Amino acid sequence: MKISLNWLKQYIDLEGISSKDIVHKLTMSGLEVEEVIDQNKLFEKFVVGFVTDKEKHPNADRLSVCKVSDGSETFQVICGAPNVERGQKVVFAPIGTLIPNGNFKIKKTKIRGVESHGMICAEDELGVSEDHSGIMVLDADSEEGTPITKVLGLNDVIMEIAVTPNRPDALSHIGVARDLAALFNKKLKIHELSLDESNDDINSLASIKIEDELNCPRYSSRVVTDIKIEESPDWLKHRLKSIGLRPINNIVDITNFVMHECGQPLHAFDLDRLNGKIIIIKSTKTKTRFTTLDSKERELAPGTLMICDAEKDVAIAGVMGGENSEIYDDTKNVLIESAYFNPSSIRKTSKHLQLSTDASYRFERGTDPGNTMYAAERTAQLLMEIAGGKIAKGSIDIYPKIIKELELKLRLSRVSKILGFDVSKENTITILTDLGFTIDEISDDELNVTVPTFRPDVEREVDLIEEIARIFGYDNIPTIPKISIPLGAKQDETSFTDHLKEYANSLGLFEMINNPLQLESLAKLTGRAILVSNPQSMDMAYLRTSLLSGALSVVSRNLNKGEKNLELFEIGNVFNLYKGKNTVNSFDDYVEDEQFIFVLTGKKTEREWYSEEKDYDFFDLKGIVNTFMEKISLDNVLNDSYYTIDNSIYDYCFTGNIKDQLIGLGGKVKSSVLKQFDIDQDVFCFEMNLGKLKEITVPEKSYNELLKYPKVVRDFAFIFDKAIKFEEVQNLIQKKGSKLLKDVKVFDIFESIDLGKDKKSMAFQLEYFDEERTLTEEEVEKDFSNLIKLVSKGFNAKLRG
Amino acid sequence: MLTKKIEQTKKDFTTEFTNVENSSDLEKIRIKYLGRNGTISELFDRLKEADKKDKPLIGKNLNLLRNEITSQINEAKSSFSKQRKSETQSLDLTLPGKKYQIGSRHILTQTLDEIKSIFKSMGFSVHEGPELESDYNNFEALNFPEDHPARDMQDTFFISEDFLLRTHTSPVQIRLMNKMQPPVRAIMPGRVYRNEAVSARSYCMFHQVEGLYVDTDVTFAELKGTLVSFAHQFYGEDFEYRFRPSFFPFTEPSAEMDITCFICKGSGCKICKYSGWLEILGCGMVDPNVFKCVHYDSEKYIGYAFGMGIERIAMLKYGITDIRVFFENDFRFLKQF
Ligand SMILES: [Zn+2]
Repeated sequence: MKISLNWLKQYIDLEGISSKDIVHKLTMSGLEVEEVIDQNKLFEKFVVGFVTDKEKHPNADRLSVCKVSDGSETFQVICGAPNVERGQKVVFAPIGTLIPNGNFKIKKTKIRGVESHGMICAEDELGVSEDHSGIMVLDADSEEGTPITKVLGLNDVIMEIAVTPNRPDALSHIGVARDLAALFNKKLKIHELSLDESNDDINSLASIKIEDELNCPRYSSRVVTDIKIEESPDWLKHRLKSIGLRPINNIVDITNFVMHECGQPLHAFDLDRLNGKIIIIKSTKTKTRFTTLDSKERELAPGTLMICDAEKDVAIAGVMGGENSEIYDDTKNVLIESAYFNPSSIRKTSKHLQLSTDASYRFERGTDPGNTMYAAERTAQLLMEIAGGKIAKGSIDIYPKIIKELELKLRLSRVSKILGFDVSKENTITILTDLGFTIDEISDDELNVTVPTFRPDVEREVDLIEEIARIFGYDNIPTIPKISIPLGAKQDETSFTDHLKEYANSLGLFEMINNPLQLESLAKLTGRAILVSNPQSMDMAYLRTSLLSGALSVVSRNLNKGEKNLELFEIGNVFNLYKGKNTVNSFDDYVEDEQFIFVLTGKKTEREWYSEEKDYDFFDLKGIVNTFMEKISLDNVLNDSYYTIDNSIYDYCFTGNIKDQLIGLGGKVKSSVLKQFDIDQDVFCFEMNLGKLKEITVPEKSYNELLKYPKVVRDFAFIFDKAIKFEEVQNLIQKKGSKLLKDVKVFDIFESIDLGKDKKSMAFQLEYFDEERTLTEEEVEKDFSNLIKLVSKGFNAKLRG
Repeated sequence: MLTKKIEQTKKDFTTEFTNVENSSDLEKIRIKYLGRNGTISELFDRLKEADKKDKPLIGKNLNLLRNEITSQINEAKSSFSKQRKSETQSLDLTLPGKKYQIGSRHILTQTLDEIKSIFKSMGFSVHEGPELESDYNNFEALNFPEDHPARDMQDTFFISEDFLLRTHTSPVQIRLMNKMQPPVRAIMPGRVYRNEAVSARSYCMFHQVEGLYVDTDVTFAELKGTLVSFAHQFYGEDFEYRFRPSFFPFTEPSAEMDITCFICKGSGCKICKYSGWLEILGCGMVDPNVFKCVHYDSEKYIGYAFGMGIERIAMLKYGITDIRVFFENDFRFLKQF
């Protein structure tokens, strides 16, 4: 919202206070000033110029070559405006002037071969209006060389204030002035009214009836007759322009002016176009169509509060008037509407119509129900003064249930308790009184505070405490240097995932963070995806059902950028509808899980002086997952089974199962899936459900006595049929070996012609030891020989060497 | 006797092993010493002849010898197969070291971790909550009435009439207070969503850390003290700060905390919109209406809450000008931190 400092000064004496101070105090009291335009600075270099000569440009029909004097010097200036003439007083921008509109600096230039030393300005170039039809022509008695700020009254400071939704009272100049009054401890001056009424009784001219009292608690009105519609006087146009509004005609301008002065939105109806000269306020019962004054036909929901005459709807209450009761150039008699509407009703309508106006913006935040009559009369007075109208005798003010001022108890001890600092009683009373609250002292500690109706946000004691704090200044409340900490048990629900991230890092993986909002086809790749009902775009309309498609998108994007070797992981939430559910109406309709994904793709090692290049393969993935599980002590809890199972994502995969619960799944991603992402190299992924992982109780670690006796290691190698799997041999050795056999590992596998067709060699290392004693050679030898026999026999294998 | 023989075998092996030049030499001595009928095997056979009392010691020595020979042969085997080249090279110490890789956490995680550790040192627990939330937890319970313009402050992605993607981490406050009685002292990090067009300055999701402290003697002055201490630990000592009144439905009074712009040191620049100040967080005293929703007695208990956006902090700290870069996951970006 734009606020003009000059306008503010109508309501408060700010003499001797710098605009910088005002801006700072406003910001520090909750009315954040986001931008300041100081016209004195902005128009510093513009001066009144006198056009002493004008000739046609030798090389261009539309341009003229002018001589402009600034009183001490004369400049040659090229001008393109059709209305420039010799003898005019104009706005002159000499070389070096920054033009506000377009933000460029005037330089010496040549236009079609003729030099130009400055610019004669149009209104739009100064940013005072959008008019670019011709240059601004100033009063003939303006003295050349005078700063333009003086001649045009461009000496204002315009502030852009971000008013928070709780402060409807600050959406006007008087509202802002009231805060300044409290901040600088000044008196607020409100324009006093003196109405010169005619003999026509308002009740003989119009009548008003509220049918929906809930949504229209108050409707105040004045009637003004014999108005002449004209352009507004300069002072009025100037005020409106200073806050960025376009003047229209005196009636519209006056209603706008009063709204920006006191915050009450107003509407003027052409009384002669109201059937039955009556206003009825009621809500629609069915869907209705209505054409607003911007000539758009709109569909209204049932329950929309409307302003009607005897026969038809004439306005959407609090939002916009209708085309059928608009003010015309020949309008003579007007009925001024100054009402208080139920904020939530106006908000519903505005939301439904997706139509926000200056009026609806204020009504939905809450206007002052106590101020409607003042605003109507202020409007009437200006219509009389400016538009020559006659104010009909009396007013109509329908206010069936008076909205009382709220009374609150304020305990000074409570102020100290919440702020941690004592604000004196005197200070408290001054602050609240300056803000318009009325105070009665009840006891040493207690005040009775009456809340004015323009502060709907102040409903409780704590709201008063905020008022005191913000005017007193948050920075004046001490920042205490030490705190107390309750000594309860501290919990960190993120520590598990923090550890996982640490382990993933130490395995060389980088963390990625993906957007969970996805394209439908990606989200539905791995589950029953949830649809967002109002997405930004179809690319982000569904919630991810696993981390896979996000990860593959990252792989794809990186491949396009030439990053082909990737080691990645992500931890994040995924969302799946339960079977049989199609939408989310309760927490039982879907599951939100925390998941973990590993991704490996490209080369594990590049070509180096010490190694050949090598692609990532299935066993890299498996190794990482196994190491990981070992680190989180789940290696003995997790049974992994690795064989081709029926899976739509992975070609060959291994699964991590805990007691029949699938907690992890992964392997090489199918090429049909990769094709969807334009990926043409192998990608290995493993996904885990962290929620389920967290539920597993890991046995507490305890110390194992370190081995005191030597280990005995034996090797053997056999030639097997190719079809024999490592695991089968390992299982047999482990099952048939003695208790002393503690570990079996395969350390060499190869195939060659020498071995024979369909044969392979596998070499195993067996480790024997006992925690209690040194093993004897015989017992190891006995077991070892026995195993050689069993393996040879069991797999029809031949011992090598 | 046997002991001597073991010593001799050890010497013989060492001599022969030094002369090994290729893998076929190696295989020969492997069979000679470790084969089924090799020296070691033979020595084990002769163990029977030894005195009963000497047996354990001799057996142990024999085992050690076999292990040593095995491991030397295995080592040599792998170096023959893999490092043929380096055999012919003299040791060139100027060759680059072999490559190893340690991964890293995303820069947003690193930023969050730093914030977390500061607050943990100040006695805060860490809690989490879901991203798909009920309208009640996200708005109603936090004193955003339906049909109130305050709801316009947070553009929302709706899933259905009563469910949405949380617009802030504040619903975790509600979940926490419903679960436990004061004192409650916790931070709540997490992902939040806003229905805003994606651009360099805004994204449809980002991360926040929420803080909450409820007890009998919590004050606004303590809130200020805690946050100033946090800011000093996180941003260093070299800045000024200020607290400005603001509005959040779930706190009263509400404030925003600014610190001196560390790009321009307060003189005004593009980053701070020429104000010289950077807004770093929002905070305030917990609104009694919130306490009502979680059945806390607002006469007895007072609380403060605060919240900050991680992306914004990371962008300022690392000079990132486009928020989208966080979620592109370009590997070159991930490796920078
Ligand atoms: Zn700056």
